[in-house]
Amino acid sequence: MEAIVKRIILEIKQGDEQAFAELVELYKDKVYQVAYRMVGNAHEAQDVAQEAFLRAYTNLDRFDTNRKFSTWIFRIATNVAIDRLRKKKPDFYLQDQVQGSQDLTYESQLAASDDLPEEQIVTAEMQEWVQGEINRLPVKYRTAIILKYLEDLSLKEISEIMDLPVSTVKTRIHRGREALRKRMRHL
Amino acid sequence: MKCEQSYEQLIHKYLDGEATSTERQTLEKHLNECSHCKMHVRELKKAIAFVQSASHIEAPKDFTANVMANLPQKKTTSKTKSTWKR
Repeated sequence: MEAIVKRIILEIKQGDEQAFAELVELYKDKVYQVAYRMVGNAHEAQDVAQEAFLRAYTNLDRFDTNRKFSTWIFRIATNVAIDRLRKKKPDFYLQDQVQGSQDLTYESQLAASDDLPEEQIVTAEMQEWVQGEINRLPVKYRTAIILKYLEDLSLKEISEIMDLPVSTVKTRIHRGREALRKRMRHL
Repeated sequence: MKCEQSYEQLIHKYLDGEATSTERQTLEKHLNECSHCKMHVRELKKAIAFVQSASHIEAPKDFTANVMANLPQKKTTSKTKSTWKR
């Protein structure tokens, strides 16, 4: 894998723009997944992931080919996502009360899709719930939890991506786990 | 709870896969005696399992094409030309 990536990067640096498409193909799903889990919706995830690849392209000269490309692109992608989240207005939650209503929540306003088999609804609901809980985590814990449990990365790799000492990454994962536990234990 | 604080670090070390076998034994022994800590570990494991159950999602089909369509124009050729002209 790393040898292929080195070859592709060399081709891009030599001016073969199309070779960049190969690089995007190799990493798009991983980058999109991280972006999606960070920002919580498909539209913004696409924006974030695209921006990450464009930044990688522009700064490719600064990439040290002796290192893992995945670490570098994850670092760019999480930084882009964090920037977006900072600029964004605070989220509303589906369980929040609709303004000017007594006991109407956004959740109750959603149309129920009753033509789906029951199992599928449960799965989709569960997925949405898990994603919602991930998005409720403070960003610094969220990044660490996503990289650890959804990308299955080692603490050392996470520390390189987040540019933090391993001990700090551990603390963030511990706190993230505790926060999730408190919210998820009753289910 | 008193024991929770002293065992919490060990519990997380254990979950990170970094507890030594002696530490694991200490923790296991404690969990057999302390229902509070046992519950704590169970809830943590449950939370991790929930997060891991989030299915992997793929980038949209036209993703690569969109990135390629938005690549910045290579300035090299025009730049060299204009420098040459001078």
